[in-house]
Amino acid sequence: MAILEMKDICKAFSGVNANENVCLNVEKGSIHALLGENGAGKTTLVNILYGIYTADSGEIRWKGRPVRFDSPREAIQSGIGMVQQHFSLVRRMTVLDNIILSLKSNGFVLNRKAAAARVASLAQKYGLTVNPITRIADLSVGERQRVEILKALYRDVELLILDEPTGVLTPQETAQFFDVLRTLKGEGYAIIIITHRMSEIMAVSDRVTILRDGRNVADLTTTQTNPEELSRYMIGRELKQGDTPAATAHSGDRLTLNGVTLAARHRHGALCDISLCVCRGEILGIAGVEGNGQKELAEVITGLRRQNVGQITLDGRDIGRLSVRGRYEAGIAYISDDRQNDGLLMGMSVCDNLLLREFRRLPFSRAGVLDRRAAVRSAENKMNTYQIRASGKTGVQTSVGLLSGGNQQKLVIARELTENAVLIIACQPTRGLDIGATEFVRSLLVRERNAGKSVMLISADLDEIMALSDRIAVLFAGKVAGVLSRKEATVQRVGLLMGGITEKERA
Amino acid sequence: MQAKQREQALMDFTKIFLLTAAVGTLLIWACGASPLEAYRLFFHGMFGTFSSFAEIFVKATPLILTGLGCAVAFRTGFFNIGAEGQFYAGAMGTTVVVLYLPDSFGVWRIVLAMAAGFVCGGIWALIAALLKAKFNISEIIVTIMLNYIIINFLGYAVRSFLMDPAGNVPQSAKIAASARLAILIPSTRFHAGILIAVCCVLLIWFVMEKTTVGYELTVVGKNQRAAACNGISVFRSVVLSAFLSGGLAAMAGGIEVLAIQKKLLEGISANCGYTAVLIALIAGNRPLAVFAVAIFYAAMQVGANSMQRQLGVPSAIVNILIGLVVVLILGKELIPFVKPAVRRLKKGGRADA
Repeated sequence: MAILEMKDICKAFSGVNANENVCLNVEKGSIHALLGENGAGKTTLVNILYGIYTADSGEIRWKGRPVRFDSPREAIQSGIGMVQQHFSLVRRMTVLDNIILSLKSNGFVLNRKAAAARVASLAQKYGLTVNPITRIADLSVGERQRVEILKALYRDVELLILDEPTGVLTPQETAQFFDVLRTLKGEGYAIIIITHRMSEIMAVSDRVTILRDGRNVADLTTTQTNPEELSRYMIGRELKQGDTPAATAHSGDRLTLNGVTLAARHRHGALCDISLCVCRGEILGIAGVEGNGQKELAEVITGLRRQNVGQITLDGRDIGRLSVRGRYEAGIAYISDDRQNDGLLMGMSVCDNLLLREFRRLPFSRAGVLDRRAAVRSAENKMNTYQIRASGKTGVQTSVGLLSGGNQQKLVIARELTENAVLIIACQPTRGLDIGATEFVRSLLVRERNAGKSVMLISADLDEIMALSDRIAVLFAGKVAGVLSRKEATVQRVGLLMGGITEKERA
Repeated sequence: MQAKQREQALMDFTKIFLLTAAVGTLLIWACGASPLEAYRLFFHGMFGTFSSFAEIFVKATPLILTGLGCAVAFRTGFFNIGAEGQFYAGAMGTTVVVLYLPDSFGVWRIVLAMAAGFVCGGIWALIAALLKAKFNISEIIVTIMLNYIIINFLGYAVRSFLMDPAGNVPQSAKIAASARLAILIPSTRFHAGILIAVCCVLLIWFVMEKTTVGYELTVVGKNQRAAACNGISVFRSVVLSAFLSGGLAAMAGGIEVLAIQKKLLEGISANCGYTAVLIALIAGNRPLAVFAVAIFYAAMQVGANSMQRQLGVPSAIVNILIGLVVVLILGKELIPFVKPAVRRLKKGGRADA
């Protein structure tokens, strides 16, 4: 009998159905995958279960009894735990203190010793090794995830919900993580794992429930299905395999970095003696686990941060001392990984946002006076060309904050991909986008490459790097751990480099 | 969606108005006066005679200019609470130039004096902007502290080097008639400074809404990080907006000296530099709205003064009510009376979550 039954769950946000009669049954001692594109309603469903949202209608039965949680606290007390995509840990506190945080059973006087003993035994049992007295800020992302899981286990949950748990892990860390999940399963825990990676579903899950547009489309046993079938259910069509044609002959270097070093402002994220080049008509993929200098690399090239040592040239011209604006005018476009902070003005309109780069130029302004009509005309064009969907009534005057993530990203790209741009720094360009938008964005990058422009694709998604790049450079701890051609780059080799194991060390 | 928002805004406005009127009535009644009579005198004070109507604009002028200054700064994300001090810096700069330039300069004496005031106020605001940009020191604290410095420095000045040699009161010499801003409508106090303020409103509106500079300032105010990522200099924008902001507040000081007081003395701002913060907030930092709110505020004060003169109801009531309005506008999210839907919204979440 299922430990959890969710029946006919409906939830609408201002008239839009996020969940429509969704059902989900999870067995004790099994790993249940929840699959779907962005916006398919996966997160909404588990948020309802976890008490963050309240369902409009439908029934939740937990261990046979109907329940309804009004807050995560109630869910946890009933034995349901969740590790969210963005961790909810207090960075300045230790692992132990995070785990026992806000527990009623703490009483008035903390008994850290007893708590530490229990954490240690849990950690031992499930292979979740982590030092309980280190502060969260000093842990890697993988370790933080272990803390989140320990935190849930410490609260005696019986069902663990994991929202996109592997997005931030290296292939090796992912394998370890799956071992932990299998152990938990063996102990009788029920696990719901939300993911969009087919390989992971095939590797670890027992059953798969697939959602599309807020509805159930399939409920399958993993051993009786295959990735092609899953993707067909998920997007309603077959997924195109990486079929981007290899680049035509590259003709010379466009961007070169020579010994670029950026002193550490804090402990993390400095660059150390980076030498790289991007050719004309080439996509150079920058792989690596996040936080190994990718963001800093992008910021040094776009001029947001100044390197301490080293040279940067674009088409033979030294751009090392140019401002952000100077470098944009020299032809560097920047698609930031943090579009809501770096790329967009959330409170301003689509039109104003599209203007952000070009407002000083004709036809958008003349002698310092803006021509709003030209801006609106150009914005309407771009909305059409780049399929940016905004509310029909307000069109280009729609506030960017009201657009979906995919449309926000298309907007950034529409603004950055001008004729003038010869080098595109694309930082996590498809993060958080659904498959349709992802394919669109990737096709645009390939289009630019084929037009002879250069792209530096910085991505934590290894599949993306493998599918698009002509060459792949791997960053580890602020250094280039290796540069591989497309042929040399196997997931295995790249994965090892991402983990900091260079070819030499292996030999 | 938009129609709904407008309807909601109208509802909010009505509720705020009714609540304020109710509190006002209660306060007047508590003073032992008849609320009806008080309101009659209140409106009579505003519209009763031509000169009292003109008085609204006289009172509004410093509020418009200082409010405009705050709006420009706030739009750029620079929280200039120093309009009061910049007002005094401007008043002093203007007075010094007007007293030391000879009569032969004619109308240029006024122009140069106003310009000097503008620069003084601008520089006074710039100090805070530079400290903010270079050392990330809170501009709020610095501008407030600079207010104390300049206000007391003015007190020192009118007792020493700026003191009228002919008298022994702490104020400057009287400004020659040729250097004053002219009264435009006889038998009222409607002076040329009012036109300067109106021109400033139009100019700042044009700059903020129609030019690349205004666009840059607005972008910096919305998101400094995005501005920097897209090649807009945050430093330049903050410095420019601070200078402009201080200069505008300083012009209010210059006009007060050249049109109303005809000399420099302590306390001439009547705290308009602080009121300006409220005016900019209520106006949502939009130049044309600043104009409207400043006129409205001045009208309330003129009405309240007449109420006080003739009925003995303290005009402070108006300040209480204005404080209430500000709290209601800024705090409406928190007050279930104004927004009963808060709880529901909180539970609802976002459609794309």
